Amino acid sequence: MTVAGELRFYGLTILGLILFPFLIHPIGGYGGLATEVLIVGIGSVGFNLLLGYAGLLSYGQAMFYGVGAYVALLTVSRFFPDHPNFWLALALGVAFVTLMAFVIGMLVVRLYGIYFSLLTLAFAQMFFFIVFKWRDLTQGDDGLQGITVPAMGLGPWSIDLTTPFPALNLGPFGDLSDLHYWYAFAALVTLAVLAFMRALVRSQFGEVLGAIRDNEERSALIGFDPRRYKVAAFVIAGALTGLSGALRGLYDTSIAPDALTVETSGNFVIYTVIGGVKTLFGPLVGTGLIMYLQNVLSAKTDAWRLIEGLIFVAVIVFLPGGILGARRKSARAELAKAVSAKAGP
Amino acid sequence: MSEIILETKGLGKSFGAFAANADIDFTVREGELRAVIGPNGAGKTTFFNLLSGVATATAGDIFFEGRRITPLGGPRRVALGIAKAFQTANLYPDETVLQNCRLAALARTQGSFAFEPFRPSRRLDEVDRIAHEALELVDMTALAGARAGDLSHGDKKRVDIAVAIATKPKILLLDEPVAGMSLEEVRKTDALIRGLAKRMTILLIEHDMTMIMGISDSITVLHQGKILAEGTPAEIRANQRVQEAYLGGHTEGHV
Repeated sequence: MTVAGELRFYGLTILGLILFPFLIHPIGGYGGLATEVLIVGIGSVGFNLLLGYAGLLSYGQAMFYGVGAYVALLTVSRFFPDHPNFWLALALGVAFVTLMAFVIGMLVVRLYGIYFSLLTLAFAQMFFFIVFKWRDLTQGDDGLQGITVPAMGLGPWSIDLTTPFPALNLGPFGDLSDLHYWYAFAALVTLAVLAFMRALVRSQFGEVLGAIRDNEERSALIGFDPRRYKVAAFVIAGALTGLSGALRGLYDTSIAPDALTVETSGNFVIYTVIGGVKTLFGPLVGTGLIMYLQNVLSAKTDAWRLIEGLIFVAVIVFLPGGILGARRKSARAELAKAVSAKAGP
Repeated sequence: MSEIILETKGLGKSFGAFAANADIDFTVREGELRAVIGPNGAGKTTFFNLLSGVATATAGDIFFEGRRITPLGGPRRVALGIAKAFQTANLYPDETVLQNCRLAALARTQGSFAFEPFRPSRRLDEVDRIAHEALELVDMTALAGARAGDLSHGDKKRVDIAVAIATKPKILLLDEPVAGMSLEEVRKTDALIRGLAKRMTILLIEHDMTMIMGISDSITVLHQGKILAEGTPAEIRANQRVQEAYLGGHTEGHV
């Protein structure tokens, strides 16, 4: 972890986050979409700890996303309506989901492969029905709509995140006022989450987690406790997906039970696989690409689902490591070639 | 006589009606090199699995340094000092030889679980020192940077032993350490095990009788899940019941 490496990571990430909403403008993107991509992308980045780094395919990530959103919105509308607080909503949303992930994690890590996936799916369905049926609290299939989300308190200031940036014409890249403060906040959280994940996968914890993924039997017989590592990964992934959901609820000021469906869980899998498992930025790239297709292409053609499906198939067949995984692999192949050329006759 | 390090009392493992191990009363003293032999299906591997915590006993108890460890799982037993090398080398094939040993050394130094999300993994001097030491012991330092999956069968098994050693065990379980090796590799491994025996207690399963007879302090013979005989190599060689057990339908392994 060199200083140059750190500077490069932070410099390029910050630059990318600043340019992203403007670069997608010429191809039909817009500020709101950019914000949503980052918010959902935070969940995908977290989910990748489970899918990529721990090798566990959870098919129930929607429960953390959805419950995070519900708890955050209920915090301001129902639990503390007299003193609604933005940070408290976010904190309770994440805290509740973290606890949930811990309890569910303890149960699901006992299973392997398809059984693990099916049990996570079953838990997610259970939470879907709880949310759907608990009308008194959740408004059932109507969901929570038009919740008044308080401004974000920051020391002496109070920031309304829906405030647009000042007007500034950027030519083909749109207008600065197309972006709200929400984007800046989402970008800061994204940067923090990426930095956290980057440290995590390079850490002692990440090293052992990868070892357990690669050979659980051996790992147990050199003295690591695979279950505890898997629970930890499950909790971190769950908490970050919950953070993503809580942000989405506060951003949309609404949430419906759709957020907890199998489709949402599947989306996290698709985003992560397309972008590249075991890559830091892959899940974010995959989220951006597919959400762009969902939002922009769906307005132009009814066949956008078909295109999404074709992309998924193409990535699985031609780029099994995902879009960014492929780039990394070719870099490695080039390195290997260079090394063998040097060692050659 | 030195202290008893490992002891089982009435140890048994049944799969339904089939008793793979039954009534095993077994003691090993510190520093001993003990071989466990027996015809195929005698229950040797099951016995090792019970000792290493891979399988759970259905009867009896296991004591390590006087402490009852019967309910403890594999990771806890490694932490106490029981390590196992596998019959078929069980490594991280995509990691380097050194990294395989580093992981084992890391488990020894950090324990079965540690949440260290911000400590970079590749900067632990103590871990590196233990890993290099283990590789030196099995004479594999030259291949430290090789990908484990690319090694020959014999080298893989030596690395597997190094991985077990890197957990700093008090007792090392070796499951057929020379199975499938060339004569030259057998000779090297024989010398390696003799060297290790000066540092730790060793328990080994093996079919190579020449090696067993030359290397062991004492031998336990398992037959149909039970202990048939126990004694020095000379005693076992002369034992009528042992000869019958081996000749009774099994041609492999001549005593």
